Amino acid sequence: MTVWEKLRPYSMVAPSIIIFSMFFIYPIFYMIYLSMFDWNFVSPTKTFVGLQNFKELLLDADFRQVLSNTTIYTLLTVTLTTGLALMLALWLNRKGVFHAFVQGAIFSPHIISLVSISLLWSWLMDPEYGLLNWAIGLLGFGKLEWLSHPSTSLVSLVIVAVWKGVGYNTLVFIAGLQSIPKDIYEAAALDESKPWTTFMKLMLPMLSPTIFFLVIINMIGSFQVFETIAIMTQGGPINSTNTLVYYIYEYGFRFFKIGYASAAGVILLGIVGILTIIYFKLLSKRVHYR
Amino acid sequence: MAQIELKHVSKKFKDDVVIEDLNLTIKDGSFTVLVGPSGCGKSTTLRMIAGLEKQSGGEIWIGGRCVNDTAPGQREVAMVFQNYALYPTMTVRGNIEFGLKNKGIGKQERQTLISDISEIVGLTPHLDKKPQNLSGGQRQRVALARAMVKKPKVFILDEPLSNLDAKLRNQMRTELIQLHKRLGTTFVYVTHDQMEAMSMGDEIVVMDKGMIQQADSPLKLYHDPVNLFTAQFIGTPAMNVMNIRDVQGLELEAADRVGFVGFRPEQALIGVNKNTEGYCLEGEIITSESLGAENIYQIKTGSGVFFVKTFLESLVKTSRVSVVIPYEHLYYFQSDGERIREVYIRSQQLVSAGGL
Amino acid sequence: MKAANETVGIPAKGAVIGGSMTVVRKKQAAWKTAVNVILQAANVICLLALVLIFALPFVWMISTSLKTMPETMIFPPEWIPSNPVWHNYIDAWNTGPFLKYFTNSVIIAVGILILQMATIIPAAYAFARYQFAGSKLLFGVVMVTLMIPAQLIFLPVYLELSALKLLNTHLGLILPFASSAFGIFLLRQAFMQISEELIEAARLDQASEWKIIARVMVPLVKPVLVTFTLFSFIAHWNDYFWPLVMTTNETARTLPLGIAKIREVEGVATWNILMAGNLILVAPILIVFFFSQRQIIRAFVYNGVK
Repeated sequence: MTVWEKLRPYSMVAPSIIIFSMFFIYPIFYMIYLSMFDWNFVSPTKTFVGLQNFKELLLDADFRQVLSNTTIYTLLTVTLTTGLALMLALWLNRKGVFHAFVQGAIFSPHIISLVSISLLWSWLMDPEYGLLNWAIGLLGFGKLEWLSHPSTSLVSLVIVAVWKGVGYNTLVFIAGLQSIPKDIYEAAALDESKPWTTFMKLMLPMLSPTIFFLVIINMIGSFQVFETIAIMTQGGPINSTNTLVYYIYEYGFRFFKIGYASAAGVILLGIVGILTIIYFKLLSKRVHYR
Repeated sequence: MAQIELKHVSKKFKDDVVIEDLNLTIKDGSFTVLVGPSGCGKSTTLRMIAGLEKQSGGEIWIGGRCVNDTAPGQREVAMVFQNYALYPTMTVRGNIEFGLKNKGIGKQERQTLISDISEIVGLTPHLDKKPQNLSGGQRQRVALARAMVKKPKVFILDEPLSNLDAKLRNQMRTELIQLHKRLGTTFVYVTHDQMEAMSMGDEIVVMDKGMIQQADSPLKLYHDPVNLFTAQFIGTPAMNVMNIRDVQGLELEAADRVGFVGFRPEQALIGVNKNTEGYCLEGEIITSESLGAENIYQIKTGSGVFFVKTFLESLVKTSRVSVVIPYEHLYYFQSDGERIREVYIRSQQLVSAGGL
Repeated sequence: MKAANETVGIPAKGAVIGGSMTVVRKKQAAWKTAVNVILQAANVICLLALVLIFALPFVWMISTSLKTMPETMIFPPEWIPSNPVWHNYIDAWNTGPFLKYFTNSVIIAVGILILQMATIIPAAYAFARYQFAGSKLLFGVVMVTLMIPAQLIFLPVYLELSALKLLNTHLGLILPFASSAFGIFLLRQAFMQISEELIEAARLDQASEWKIIARVMVPLVKPVLVTFTLFSFIAHWNDYFWPLVMTTNETARTLPLGIAKIREVEGVATWNILMAGNLILVAPILIVFFFSQRQIIRAFVYNGVK
């Protein structure tokens, strides 16, 4: 083996590894480092403050609200998206041009820029002239303020997230359903299994890897929600839609409290990290079906 | 215990007619094998009996009951699938228990049934394992146990051995035969392998192109095929067939026009035996395989290339040989493949005159 | 569906034999088809309703984009504007340097894609096919990167790019994505599925290692490359967050930023102009989706699951 042959694999992975180290791995440590300093970005000196930033964060009522907003938003979005998607998948899991068209239609928001979706839904949710108020009017409800009222703003954002994500989730579920061999259902039919039993005892357990996958990636995604908030609500009204990433963004780029924002970033890192570890733990336990 | 009757059953997939007007009686307690090339409709027939596929026309009766509108689970049939179709999320115990639970059988009784069955098929040490941690043979046993535990009237097996290696397949074959003997239940078995069919079945249904070619006992099928398809499908190597145009020195008289003449490789004799009266062919051995007890020759003659099989004889070394087929071992068929039984041979060629 | 199934079991339990049965059967069959037809119709209506939930917002967007401002303020709303105002699109385009936004978007999305192809193919191949000391650790780096979302580390990366004087440059927006952990992961799977015998055959034909990669291996993973191309291009074309955070002026800003900015330029209530601009952003993607729906869905769904 020549020297070059030995070096070849390293040279092949090097560009990627350098990029990842520079822009993904190193920043993590840099962020942890920054979280222990007080720094306003322009001043040449950083003051070491230890865990002071974290203490301040946890004492800050706004931040606690941000955490609770993010958690509520995440829980609602994840349950609704995954649950609805599972039901839709059971319904739409059929071959044929028409079903393919329906699947395509519900998937389409997934490939559209969040900017477009945010702007479009801001208009749909317009309290005065929005289509949504017209639609619920047809059903006999009065006008809602949607994004403009603290009691409905967060739920409105959840609706947008579900609308965008449910199609993708549905198609992932359909892919999961299609990987279940047909003869399993036939065996169940011969075993006098009722549809509900077949669903609970066979389909759901066999779909569990897919469910875990979707729940975790939806959770990780929801914890980092930013675009819809930046465009639709800017965290308002009265902080009712302020979430973690938007909070970090504001403290970093508007108030230039880099250390403080970094500390919030570290907390987000912790949450995402825990979710990721849970996912991999479940993944390693995941049964491999033939 | 149940007899199965198929009356004028047909099956269409969209506009494709897979099975047309099929009539078949599967005897109570028999081990009936449906055999035929792929796409012959054997699996479809089986699935219609199980209720997994609905027939497009006709009636299916199991044990004196028309099951046309009976759900699969209520037909009192159990099935072993080609890929076993075990429930991957359940343990072996769970797999066996599932059907019993759905039937509403009490816990105590389920326990006894499961331990009895797993004792019979030798699964007792594996009851708490998941199917994916079992070997192919063990999975096969789970599939069997799952079917047996329901005490069905009819067992349906869809190519159950095709995923096993050769050695295990032979072993399972014997076990299945013994199992059938012990249970005395009607077995309906599908395979594309005629050897498997011959060795296992006491009734064999040969199918082709959605039609039953012949339904008979294995020996009857072998010795008395009703048409060219069965004649050629059963037996290895297959029956040698000559077009009547290539047959020389044989003047035949029959009610119908003879289209083909056939003989089994194992019934032809190599080397002239003056005492044997028969049709004689001369040719050249192109290949010879010796399997120990038997030898198989491929012989090129003026009428085509034929196989000849001999038993417990030494390998013929000469390249030019003459082959004699005793007249009583010749089979005659019409040009549409139908067997002709009443054939008189008007002029018998003399053995020494040769076939060419 | 359910009701139809339940009827199936009924006559069998009686097991009636004889002439009367056929009559019963025929009646049941007729009733069954009737129920089936109704259920199917109901199903189709529900499906159409579902499609409307996803299609109507887009229709509404088009409708609004052709209205005058007073027309947008009619309630209950009108679906078809009496006089379509095509000028809205020009107005939207003129709210900012849109040609620049557009070229920036193209440069960045294409630039990222080209660099990614150049980096992920060799890396994925090395991880799939070579055994070398530290390969596990290095692949660990890839897997960790796969798990780190951009939203998490934008602040330190901003400081980094600012130190490198790369803020407000195309390069600054391209470089962090010059390789893709997801792409390496996908391609590695594909390379691993190719049989060793094929490479051995190529080696016996005296092909050099580079030739094996370029001529034998890469063509075999083409479908995965197409998939990844769609995925990467759409993701970066749509991206709002990263260009927003990494730019402070117009030089490198992209189309999504320009569209979002219309609101600041034109005022909050100019929904007609805003929707016209929005359509400029959405239409290309929707048209591409319309024609290669199957491929795009596979790119996003099936590869995500594996």
